[in-house]
Amino acid sequence: MWRCCRANPDRARVTLSVLLTDSDDSAIAEAVAQLETWQLSVKHERDLSLLIEQLPDVRAVLITTDNPTAMRDAVERARERGIPTIVGSRDETTRRRAVELRVDEWYRIPAPSEEIAARVRSAISRTIPTGEALADRVERAEYERMLYDGLTGLPTLPVALERTRSLIKERGEMVVLYLNFVRYSKIEEIYGWEKLDAVLETTASAVREFLTDSALSASRVTTSFANDDDFIFFHVPLPDVAAATDPEITTLVVHLQQHVASRIEATHGEDVGALIDIYVGRSHVYYNPKVRLERLIYRGIREAANNAKSVEQRERGRRITDLKDSLRDRGVYIDYHPIVVAETRKIFGYEALARGVRRSLRSPEVMFEVAADGDLIWELSRLCRARAIEGMEARLTHDELLFLNVDPHDFADPAFTESEVKQPHRVVIEITERTAIKDYPKFKERLKAFRERGYRFAVDDAGSGYAGLGSIANLEPDFIKLDMSLINCIDTNFIKQNLVASMVRFANDHGAMVIAEGVERAEEFAAVQSLGVHLVQGFYLHRPIRHSGPEAAVPEAAPEPAAT
Amino acid sequence: MTDPARIPILVVDDNKDNAEIMRQYLEAQGYPITVAYSGEEALGVMDTAKPSIVLLDVMMPGKDGWETCRLMKQHPVLGRSIRIIMVTALHAWDDKREALQTGADDYVEKPFDLPQLAKTIERNVAMLPSQP
Repeated sequence: MWRCCRANPDRARVTLSVLLTDSDDSAIAEAVAQLETWQLSVKHERDLSLLIEQLPDVRAVLITTDNPTAMRDAVERARERGIPTIVGSRDETTRRRAVELRVDEWYRIPAPSEEIAARVRSAISRTIPTGEALADRVERAEYERMLYDGLTGLPTLPVALERTRSLIKERGEMVVLYLNFVRYSKIEEIYGWEKLDAVLETTASAVREFLTDSALSASRVTTSFANDDDFIFFHVPLPDVAAATDPEITTLVVHLQQHVASRIEATHGEDVGALIDIYVGRSHVYYNPKVRLERLIYRGIREAANNAKSVEQRERGRRITDLKDSLRDRGVYIDYHPIVVAETRKIFGYEALARGVRRSLRSPEVMFEVAADGDLIWELSRLCRARAIEGMEARLTHDELLFLNVDPHDFADPAFTESEVKQPHRVVIEITERTAIKDYPKFKERLKAFRERGYRFAVDDAGSGYAGLGSIANLEPDFIKLDMSLINCIDTNFIKQNLVASMVRFANDHGAMVIAEGVERAEEFAAVQSLGVHLVQGFYLHRPIRHSGPEAAVPEAAPEPAAT
Repeated sequence: MTDPARIPILVVDDNKDNAEIMRQYLEAQGYPITVAYSGEEALGVMDTAKPSIVLLDVMMPGKDGWETCRLMKQHPVLGRSIRIIMVTALHAWDDKREALQTGADDYVEKPFDLPQLAKTIERNVAMLPSQP
């Protein structure tokens, strides 16, 4: 009664795959005939588990017995050998048992041969490793992630070290360049991690591009991704080629900075481009047989990193001087970024975005960071506000509103008062949710005074934290400006859509309007529109409009707003 | 109309009954289903199952759903295109923020009604990068 049938004798000689089964169901034989290069071996159920071990070419086991012990033995033995199992069940109990045993596939008897063939194919295509095999695989994947950065594809430090080892021995020297990218974390804070990932990718590809075109291409360079945002180059000149000299490296570094910056600006826009700085430090490593090579290289890296840090320190000092000069000659201009009604696209108002006239202070984030360094926050805030209000008269028609960024700390500035603007009802004060407010009752009192004069309020970056809607409700805003990270790719992310929908509901209940900021694509615009967002701001609709450009920023004799 | 047979789905749930309910229901719709009973196992079968969509339970012993989601999204080949649906009730705001941080694309509440599950999968299928 037990027989063996050859499914496809010609092909079988090439590779032999045996389906071992305890069933003489003719549908199974037909199924095997549909599987190329497969053979069927039908044995009694009590022999299955033994034969799994003894038959060399068993690639899958199909079990139909309703004897629980026989099924379990066969499944377990097959699993030990990494052979997939398929169960044909006549009743619900057997099926459940098979599921409990975690067989790879199951079907209900009777089944057409096509289905059985599909089950076998599917079982062998996704054998689930278990036990040690699984642990091994997960561990290996984890190691791989440790060796190469998934995002940039660059090797991590241990890999780069191994690669460099023989090269430096042979050549005797090596140059280490440490690229310190500053404010990448800011990108994540403002735009969300998706944006930072994209920027890092651009950075890595720009670096690669640059290397293949540069003088360093005549050397062996290993690039490594050290931290979340730092890169390290190991530059070992080719034999017979002189190592790059210091002036050469200096020129190279300048070009590299320019190349990366321009690529980032071209791909991710001016705002992101202006935010990022790159500081490069360098060191020379000379091979010394007495000192262990790893130690030499690590020292070299540390020296280069410190060097990059000191370059950054110098630059910071220089920028404080730049800022002081800017405050003196009013070197700040304003871009007005239109905010439109989602439904009609009609302009509703403008957000005033302050920018530094000096190139090093172009980005407002950078400007305020430097101001914090130099203890000049109030002075800078005053200048930015004054500039924005000056431009408002020329820029805005009467029914358009001016959205003015004010840091909660500014409310403590005696020079910032309710009477700052002639037409307070046309001004919306944006307060960021990111800054912690220290003296809450006092802050609310100040808000009240402004509100009574006719000013309106917007909560900026709403939803950026974990706090949710409670903290927003406290400020009783007229406008809720959604954090940009919620808008980026909202068209494909249903969790973001859900969050924004609940924000819109909340706003409608509280008589506020929701503004979606950072809308860059048509799909994002369509998504926020359909979610009922009231107002929209972003490059997809308008780029910021320059009112008082750098040329308009005529140096004047420090007309600081008078302090009381 | 996309052919469900070309959308492999990986169901990850340590509760076998839940996993089985999802598997049966989705198989009936024509999707090829792979089941894994832990986060570790799910990561282990990524390369062979090559899922387009992952249904990922959050509360699991060992690597939980968040951690698994984060690691799946880092997969060098599949990480880009994969859509991850968390199987959990994300009631609170911070749960949803957390989900966004890990890279999750959608969620379906538990205990789910199956038509809702199907709808959730369909809207994520529509978001998959078009196949060659």
